[in-house]
Amino acid sequence: MAGPRILTVDWDQPDSFALETYKASGGYTALPKALKRKPQEIVDEVVKSNLRGRGGAGFPTGMKWNFVRKETSFPKYLVVNADEGEPGTFKDREILMMSPHMFVEGTIIGCYAIDCHLTYVYCRGEFRDSAMQRLQAAIDEAYQAGYLGKNILKSGFDLEMHAVFGAGAYICGEETALLESLEGRKGYPRLKPPFPANAGGGLFKQPTAVNNVETLANLPAIVNLGGDEFSKIGLVPKNGGTRLFAVSGHVKKTGVFEAPMGISFKALLDEYCGGMREGSTLKAIIPGGSSSAIMTAAEADWASDFDTLKAKKTMAGSGAVVYLDQSVNMAHALANVMRFYAHESCGQCTPCREGTAWLSRLLDKIVAGQGEKTDVDNVHQIARQMEMKTICALADGAAMPAKSYIEKFRADFDALVRG
Amino acid sequence: MIPLGTKAGPVASPFSPDQQKRFQEGFAKAVAKYPPERRRAALLPALHLAQDELGWLSEPAMAYVGSLLDVPPVRVREVATFYTMYHLEPVGRHHIGVCNSISCWSMGAPLILEHCAQKLGIHPGETTRDGVFSLEEVACLAACGAAPAVLVNNFTYVEGVTPQSIDQLIDRLRGEPGKTMAP
Repeated sequence: MAGPRILTVDWDQPDSFALETYKASGGYTALPKALKRKPQEIVDEVVKSNLRGRGGAGFPTGMKWNFVRKETSFPKYLVVNADEGEPGTFKDREILMMSPHMFVEGTIIGCYAIDCHLTYVYCRGEFRDSAMQRLQAAIDEAYQAGYLGKNILKSGFDLEMHAVFGAGAYICGEETALLESLEGRKGYPRLKPPFPANAGGGLFKQPTAVNNVETLANLPAIVNLGGDEFSKIGLVPKNGGTRLFAVSGHVKKTGVFEAPMGISFKALLDEYCGGMREGSTLKAIIPGGSSSAIMTAAEADWASDFDTLKAKKTMAGSGAVVYLDQSVNMAHALANVMRFYAHESCGQCTPCREGTAWLSRLLDKIVAGQGEKTDVDNVHQIARQMEMKTICALADGAAMPAKSYIEKFRADFDALVRG
Repeated sequence: MIPLGTKAGPVASPFSPDQQKRFQEGFAKAVAKYPPERRRAALLPALHLAQDELGWLSEPAMAYVGSLLDVPPVRVREVATFYTMYHLEPVGRHHIGVCNSISCWSMGAPLILEHCAQKLGIHPGETTRDGVFSLEEVACLAACGAAPAVLVNNFTYVEGVTPQSIDQLIDRLRGEPGKTMAP
């Protein structure tokens, strides 16, 4: 595969997860450099790097860290979101399985940058015996090597890192629901403000940076290359570095591929995935997890960065790309997606709890051949009324596919209904 | 009237001595991860530990875990019912979760689920009469690249499954003891 490799540099090696492998390719050289600089200088490099949050929102990481730095309340926390659950997304699991030390080093640097001495990695519960075990082994090795614990590399900086795990709930990938869960409660998202970065809004009410696994895994490269160089790797402005695209669906080669931020969906498909599988023609693309608005085959030349896709009224989201072929009826696909949201809505806000369930019922009726044309119109109408009315973005994440599947593939719905 | 701040009396342990020992070790490790004044945060791992021993979360198990962390029973129940990995009634010795989300769906997950249901003679959500298998649909497992994916006993991934490979899996599991002491 073409393009620079930052996150996947060791992935061809059978023991890519081992400390020795990581060190052989330059691992843990960034940490001592970072510890010799002032924390604010690290944040400044991250601002320059144009690193954007890889969990889905694409929020500038450096800006988030400056919010935390500005707070005067201590302790401050860094909480890692490893609750990967957006349908189509499987890249954080791959990082934890293949390069856990790169992530650990990045997280240590992140903690140093925001003056945090206790960090939690919240893994989804299902990872306990696989990805989290790899992570725990890496954490244990890092303690033994003096990269974690008291007086790290004689710098005077102390840090404790704990891996913890959830118990099955998509909503806990939402950062404030994750904090609730980490505190031992059900995962109800919190009303904002205060935001997690602010006093009163974070873990145990303290200022907290919540960052995605992939986001933090980029930190060693940012320290080693410098923010400016890292930023240039992205193909479009304000989108620094590479991205791990988790590709699934009807392509020849599925998997996690590292490509520069902003690569087009066509290039990703042709150059990394070997094109569509035998006998398949591209029909639709889910560009950033199931919550993102759908794209047609004709839109495959769109760039995959956060800003381009936002302008096109969809989103880069978690980098989960699903290529679907002509065998898929998009009404059936939407019915599947909506069952997920109806199941995963936490039930706190009425528009989401009732809306997702209602949409799911209507779509099930449509795909069962019992629907009418007005049912399709109603799905679109209900979805519009769910947007921007709830505490978190789950309802919007359900509304976006509902609206766009109908707008772009209306014929698939009309073929199933009367009237 | 019961005055505010009244503590409930000690709650009997639901575990056998062996189970108690393992639970206690895991519990001490889980609690140590949080600041002392925040030990209630260990509720999720503590419930997991109880389920590891018993196979599911019975009322006495929930009451016991709550009493250790000073979490009221209603809060324990709230958490236990919110998360899908906790079983609130006994399940089979082997729990098979078939992913039903978009990537697995597009690669034939509905056929896998139907195949499992037929082979086991149960519907999703049910347990075989001999208590060996439970079948359930589960939401996206973050294993979309090797779809369809299946999760066995909450923590073991089996990926890229076919009707043939799932047959072999079920036959193999039938001869294996469960990880937990099923009731």
